[in-house]
Amino acid sequence: MKRNLFQYPFIISFIVALCFCTNSIAQKTDASNYRMRFKFKTIKQKDNSRLLEVSFIGQNKKNRKDKVPVYNAEIEFLNILNEDKKLLGTSKTSKKGIAQLLLPKNQSYLTDENGYINLTAKFKGTNAIDEKVSEIIIKDITLELNLKEIDSVKKGIVKAYTIDRFGVKTPIEEADVIISIKGMLSNMKINEGTIKNGKFEFEFPTDIPGNANGTITVYSTIEYNEDFGNVVQEKSIKWGVFNKKIKDNSNTLWSEVAPLWMYIVLTILLLGVWANYLFTIINLLKIYREGKNLIINPEEQ
Amino acid sequence: MDLNNRKKELVKEFSPMLEKFSPALKLWIGVLVVVITIGLYAFVLQVKHGHIITGMRDNVVWGLYIINFIFFVGISYSGAFISGILHFFKTPWKNSVTRIVEIITVLSIIVGPVFILLCIGRLDRLYYLFIYPRIQSPITWDIIAIITDLIGCFIYLYLTFIPDFAILRDNPDLKIPNWRKKLYRFLAINYKDTKAQRARLHKITSIMSKMIIAMAIVAYTVLAWIFSLTLQPGWNSTIFAPDFIVAGLYSGVGVILIAMFIIRKYFKLEKYIIKLHFVLGGAVLLVLSLLFGYFTFSDYFAKWFSHKMGDVGLLQSLFTKYFWQFIFANYIGILIPIIILSIKKLRTIKLITFAAIIAVAGLWLNRYLIVVPTLENPYVPIQDTRPEYIHYTATWIEWSLTFAGIATFLLLFTLIIKFVPIISMSGIIDNERELQNDKLKLTN
Repeated sequence: MKRNLFQYPFIISFIVALCFCTNSIAQKTDASNYRMRFKFKTIKQKDNSRLLEVSFIGQNKKNRKDKVPVYNAEIEFLNILNEDKKLLGTSKTSKKGIAQLLLPKNQSYLTDENGYINLTAKFKGTNAIDEKVSEIIIKDITLELNLKEIDSVKKGIVKAYTIDRFGVKTPIEEADVIISIKGMLSNMKINEGTIKNGKFEFEFPTDIPGNANGTITVYSTIEYNEDFGNVVQEKSIKWGVFNKKIKDNSNTLWSEVAPLWMYIVLTILLLGVWANYLFTIINLLKIYREGKNLIINPEEQ
Repeated sequence: MDLNNRKKELVKEFSPMLEKFSPALKLWIGVLVVVITIGLYAFVLQVKHGHIITGMRDNVVWGLYIINFIFFVGISYSGAFISGILHFFKTPWKNSVTRIVEIITVLSIIVGPVFILLCIGRLDRLYYLFIYPRIQSPITWDIIAIITDLIGCFIYLYLTFIPDFAILRDNPDLKIPNWRKKLYRFLAINYKDTKAQRARLHKITSIMSKMIIAMAIVAYTVLAWIFSLTLQPGWNSTIFAPDFIVAGLYSGVGVILIAMFIIRKYFKLEKYIIKLHFVLGGAVLLVLSLLFGYFTFSDYFAKWFSHKMGDVGLLQSLFTKYFWQFIFANYIGILIPIIILSIKKLRTIKLITFAAIIAVAGLWLNRYLIVVPTLENPYVPIQDTRPEYIHYTATWIEWSLTFAGIATFLLLFTLIIKFVPIISMSGIIDNERELQNDKLKLTN
């Protein structure tokens, strides 16, 4: 049955109105439709400087895959102790929604009686986006990585300790550590374990090629630790085996003589087929002889 | 029923086919001879001047010749395959098609390899292939496979011909020259159709039929490996061997259907080659077109998706320079047969034959697109060379030799069906004998 849509003016006008509804477009970019993700982390780097980093991303409440970075938002990085607030610096988020602040090695911090540092990242908020605050409470530790050959065994030793205001080193009790090496695209994990009483030892693998000079860059990393945050240390050493001659896998089909299996397979195949031809010809000869006998002795038929 | 009388009846029925050369047939043979003569002249020119008078150059070293080679050899292997399978059927309808299939099988394997000889630049060094063979080379495997297959097909064809030679020998009333009678006598090898001879012949034919199926698969796989074991864009594919087998079967069934149509019409064999033959052949063609379409899609899709540098250039040329050829080979050549053969109302003899023609033409073009565009898009292009060295266009020499090859195939086919009946008389007799035996068993 055919139907004319124009018989339903109300439905048609509703569809047309929907098509031209500008709110439907505005709704997409409205910040209220997004849940703001304000993530703060700190990484103590190999030169003992400290990186403070905020990731400020809006995630669509309905479609989680729709993520929009908050651009040009000013982030304050503070060091807080009770009522005291020390502004460490400010940074604006990039187009990727990342704001970073690098604190030098000799940066002084406000610490509590146990040596904990309160680091806070703060976004003051706008008309569209609410204020955001995130804090990390960590201890400032120093990570050492030493690579040594002891009794012909290549070893790595990781040490982790805190230093108080008098310069006294106190080994940390326990922390998980990951040992990795630098790769072309990402780091490759080669070991992991737990630093106990400030020390972790591991045996270094002997089959890693390294770069063209045989140099390997090794990382020891403490990641997202409740007490210490992220701490990275790196060392480069010429322990690679790159210059060792790699055995060429020559193509056996390009050699002068074919592999034995090829001779065997071909011989079996050809013998099988040609033997059957021979069998057929022998049988044809038998048919010929049988026919000849019939011509000589017709009664046999 | 006296089987001897029945044999005489059959000879009488088929004798016009064997005895007379009608004016139309003579004209047909004359045309074929002219085409072959032009081809021979082209061949002499090619030997005299070398491959410079063909379209083949440094980049595109293979052209029409290798395409025809793959095409004909594919038809042959397909014929061997189908012929071997038909041997297992004990139905009367197979008698009408088996001989056509067998002749196509042998003639294709004779004509096909001639094209590879035309492709060789230095024919005077051909014997090097035999005295310095490299067992590691797929070319050597192919030579061994083709020679073995050719002999196998000849033997198989001969085995199936023996009972008919015997019937023709035992009918002196046949108005044929004496040399032909002598030849029938010689080729019939004293076959008297006794029980023992019949059993022996059946045994060796049965073994050979199984063997040629296996040989067809092995030989066509080896031919596919000549391409797929090289690292050329578009060739280095694991699907090539099964694809070649399916493609060969597809073209083979198509050629058989076309031959059936022409023979039925020309020799007025409507009594023997009935619509059922076309419908069954069409059903096989339908299955093969679906399989071939699936393999072709899978091959090109993998190339497009993986986006390897060499394949990108190849696909680009297929969708630009060779756009219409690509559409015909891989869309029309597959979809038209599928549409015609899957709709019951369209399954008429003429439309099934039309579908077969489209399938064969599409398949030939598909082989062209496998060979030429790949060679025009090598991994390491030759720099600062003339465009005609990179792009291939077949010259009249190649076309005339191509048509000469087709004409040779048709001429030999015409001559063979003037020498032995196109419908296997022994097959009809065997079938009637079995029916008689069954009746006797029932009455006892």
